[in-house]
Amino acid sequence: MSEPPGVVCRECPDRVFANVRGDSGDLRLRRAVAQVAGLDLPREPGTWNRADRSRAYWLGPDEWLLVVEGDDGLALEERLRDALDGPFSVADVTGAQVQLELSGPDAGKVLQKSSPYDFHPRKFPPGRCAQTVFSKTTALVAAREDGAFDVVFRRSYADYLMRWLADAAAEYGYRLE
Amino acid sequence: MFRIHCPHCQEVRSEEEFSYAGEAHIPRPADPSSLSDAEWGEYLHTRTNPRGPHREMWVHTAGCRRYFNVLRDTVSYEILAVYRVGEMPPERGEA
Repeated sequence: MSEPPGVVCRECPDRVFANVRGDSGDLRLRRAVAQVAGLDLPREPGTWNRADRSRAYWLGPDEWLLVVEGDDGLALEERLRDALDGPFSVADVTGAQVQLELSGPDAGKVLQKSSPYDFHPRKFPPGRCAQTVFSKTTALVAAREDGAFDVVFRRSYADYLMRWLADAAAEYGYRLE
Repeated sequence: MFRIHCPHCQEVRSEEEFSYAGEAHIPRPADPSSLSDAEWGEYLHTRTNPRGPHREMWVHTAGCRRYFNVLRDTVSYEILAVYRVGEMPPERGEA
């Protein structure tokens, strides 16, 4: 097939994940995360922030997912713990998560097929993220500036979700990298 | 199918993302061991089951995983109000 595929899926194996919880208004929490990951925790519901190699996704009013490239999960947790001083929680959840990048002109259509959430660009512009029902499981989906999407889901559903994506994207042309 | 406004995500989401969690505003007795079996049974099992506005809890299972309260008409299924745990429903819903 010489036609470029409508959907390209790429696994991002070099990511580590930390679940961070605490009062979003507490400066000690915000400073510690800024010091370790170089970014500010998003306070606006359903948004995410990024720095050079790290991202912070809003999961709830007092909960975030911190994703860092090419790091060590336990070491990241340790650094956060060292920097944090107060009633906060940090847990390395690298072993539980898989991150994919969905790109291509029809990536958004595959998301729309997979979920009851409104992934129309008007409602879901770059900088937004949402945890929602995704096929028969759940996922965190984030819209990026370059038009691609980051999808984070549970590792135990990886086999199922990869088959689902391949099937859902087949009509647009699908390439797995 | 409900379309429910999550007060934490501040978005209207599909019912698929939520789970029902029973009637709201049922305080746990301060000293359970001092209650009779009948009183404890009352707390555990007796619900108002109204016809009309019903104050109930929902949890945004597939989203932010937070609990919140919904005031819903059990006849029309209309959602009259959504409010956070710890808050009281708006006046018009007082059944």
